[in-house]
Amino acid sequence: MSGNFWGQDPLQQTYDAVVVGSGATGGWAAKQLSEAGLKVALLEAGRAVSPKEFTEHMPAYKLKYRDHSPEVVRTRPVQKQCYACMEYNYEWFVNDLENPYSTPPGKPFTWQRLRILGGRSLVWGRQSYRMSDNDLKAASRDGYGDDWPIAYADLSPYYDIVEKYVGITGAAEGNEMLPDGQFLPPMKMSCGEILMRDRVKAKFGRTVTIGRAAILTQNHNGRLQCHYCGPCERGCSTFSYFSSPFTTVKDAMASGNCTLITNAVVAHVNMDAGSNKASGVTYVDRLTRQVKEVRAKSVILCAQALESTRILLNSSTREYPNGLANSSGALGHYLMDHVVGAGASGRLPDFKTLPNANEPARPNGIYVPRFRNTPTSGKHSRFIRGYGYQGGAGPEFNFSAEGYGASLKKGVKEGLYAASLGAFGESLARWDNYIEIDRDLKDAWGIPALHINMSHGDNEAALMEDAGATAAEMLEAAGAKDIRVQAGVEMPGMAIHELGTARMGNDPKKSVLTPFNQTHDVKNLFVMDGASFVSSACQNPTLSMMAITVRACDHLIDRFHKSDV
Amino acid sequence: MNRRDMIRASVITGAAAALGSPRGAAQNAAAQAAPSELTPAGSGVDASKDLAGPGWKPLFLDEHQNETLIALSDLMIPATDTPGAKEALVNRYIDLVLAAEARDTQRAFLNSLGYLDGESIRRYKTAFRYLSREDQDDLLHSFAYPKNGSGWTGEAAPPDVGHGHFEALKERIMTAYYSSQIGEKELGWDGAFAHGPYQGCEHPEGDHK
Repeated sequence: MSGNFWGQDPLQQTYDAVVVGSGATGGWAAKQLSEAGLKVALLEAGRAVSPKEFTEHMPAYKLKYRDHSPEVVRTRPVQKQCYACMEYNYEWFVNDLENPYSTPPGKPFTWQRLRILGGRSLVWGRQSYRMSDNDLKAASRDGYGDDWPIAYADLSPYYDIVEKYVGITGAAEGNEMLPDGQFLPPMKMSCGEILMRDRVKAKFGRTVTIGRAAILTQNHNGRLQCHYCGPCERGCSTFSYFSSPFTTVKDAMASGNCTLITNAVVAHVNMDAGSNKASGVTYVDRLTRQVKEVRAKSVILCAQALESTRILLNSSTREYPNGLANSSGALGHYLMDHVVGAGASGRLPDFKTLPNANEPARPNGIYVPRFRNTPTSGKHSRFIRGYGYQGGAGPEFNFSAEGYGASLKKGVKEGLYAASLGAFGESLARWDNYIEIDRDLKDAWGIPALHINMSHGDNEAALMEDAGATAAEMLEAAGAKDIRVQAGVEMPGMAIHELGTARMGNDPKKSVLTPFNQTHDVKNLFVMDGASFVSSACQNPTLSMMAITVRACDHLIDRFHKSDV
Repeated sequence: MNRRDMIRASVITGAAAALGSPRGAAQNAAAQAAPSELTPAGSGVDASKDLAGPGWKPLFLDEHQNETLIALSDLMIPATDTPGAKEALVNRYIDLVLAAEARDTQRAFLNSLGYLDGESIRRYKTAFRYLSREDQDDLLHSFAYPKNGSGWTGEAAPPDVGHGHFEALKERIMTAYYSSQIGEKELGWDGAFAHGPYQGCEHPEGDHK
């Protein structure tokens, strides 16, 4: 525990707000509310993090197992499925033995989680894209599912606020599917990427742009610009990529109004006896296993989509027997995660540039915004919605060089000029994809665990089939040879973009949250993370999650000022 | 199946096992809370000299297997104008990893190494490590390239067992070599972690050779 603002026991007071989770959204909630003068308790299930444990400049040969540690595989068999969970940093990820969940036979789901101050913002992919009304109002356009209760005009000013603070590098394109934002200067493209951009535009009229990423290309808000060392997921000693502990949480603490409580594994929300109001949360101390309570006038869940909903499902009362704030029955349903598993790779023989171990490492790639089922493309015959590509092109060492001996050594160094595109597709919101409490399964703190029931459907499979063939077609247009195509569907969870399970809406019978992320049922209870999403779009969602959080906080602050909480 | 896939396969089995007995797993986990919650890397441990000691002994391999691996790695990535796999002590690193790996993974490695000896004995009546360098080279060459089906008759090739073992051993040796300090130098790394901003394409518009 630290940062107690009155010099009193942090558990002997009533806060204006308790925020559960210190990641991308929780950090914003703590910052906005505390800077507005509210007394905030910020709860994090993991420990604090220190820049001293960052390892982005440590070569693999200094590690005992050179980043192939069997210890990671043993303690984090699920987390290891994420590329960012490595021998360098695996303690940031949950220990899977302590944090179980179950899935039905034949329907695996991989759930990647961090429990440490900052959560997944420490290791995230940093790609940052706005949604447009083509996404928010998709149901009106193709008849599937529900529209969001908010429009782009509602979110746009909040995207501005978030982007200006976070620092997003990118290039404006004027693309109908991908609104431009407040960009820092774009990163440069390689020769191969420029060739691909030009030829794909000429042949198909599609946009290839440099990735939009939460990485500084110039000094910004007291943080230094990127020094292009490469592996952001191991931390950044110059804080050049956005992570909450060194930005939003730091600001919240500086306000003097925020008390940070680490190692607080929240079990459930408490309700005030006799009134339909939340009175705070109960948590288990991660290290001592002691059960403690934090009292607050409002409760804000930013624990990650599935964790926030798990807390509500574990907070049932006599009035809410199927989960707190679940009079609609929708809580836990409409789970989404972008579908991945399709793309193509090849080599560009036009380029002779050799790989160079001393080349600056650009922590960003290229992006192809959605081009299927757009207002100008017309409707596709086999699927609704669409996908975007992330990718890149450049010289690489060829560790797949043939043979052995001196010629193998030479082949590795000669390398190849590689190009690739990988798709992220929209995951349709379906009632059948849901989470519930597994009554027979508890985590190491005795808190009932989740049963996750999700599979991708026919539309997702059709998207991936098209995405594989289309990626190959685009690489071919760029002159690629030896093209290899993937057109499969990976297990849900692989995109690490879990969304939904407490969706927002205007109708309290069909949704859990109001358009301001307040539960319809309990007026001082909020869910301000990805759980609120109505549809997934195909863009990486963190930027939108942060904008939605800031918007919801504005609303909550306003109500506090009107004494309406 | 490459090495990463093998790790992933063991991961998934491991996850199923871990999730199979939740209560037991939770209790075990509670009992074994780590004293420090930093990874060795996060606490600044430097293990780069650990394997170079004069008193080194294998943890997993026996003497014959270790000597076989040294001979094989020297052939796979020989010293040229730069040091090779033998100088990089790849056998010691592979032994260290094997010692901590799952039994199936260990067995798969020994199968591949044993296949090499089996073929050596079949063709030359002696184990691989005792062959002349020329014979070792001839034997390895016979596995090094995949055998494709006939382009004339359209006949598919039978499963190429020897090449499969070759690729498994090669991947182990390459991983060990290119992750070593010698391997980093081989790729030309100057030891600096940052090299200025990424400049990208600097060619004039329309000329990106």
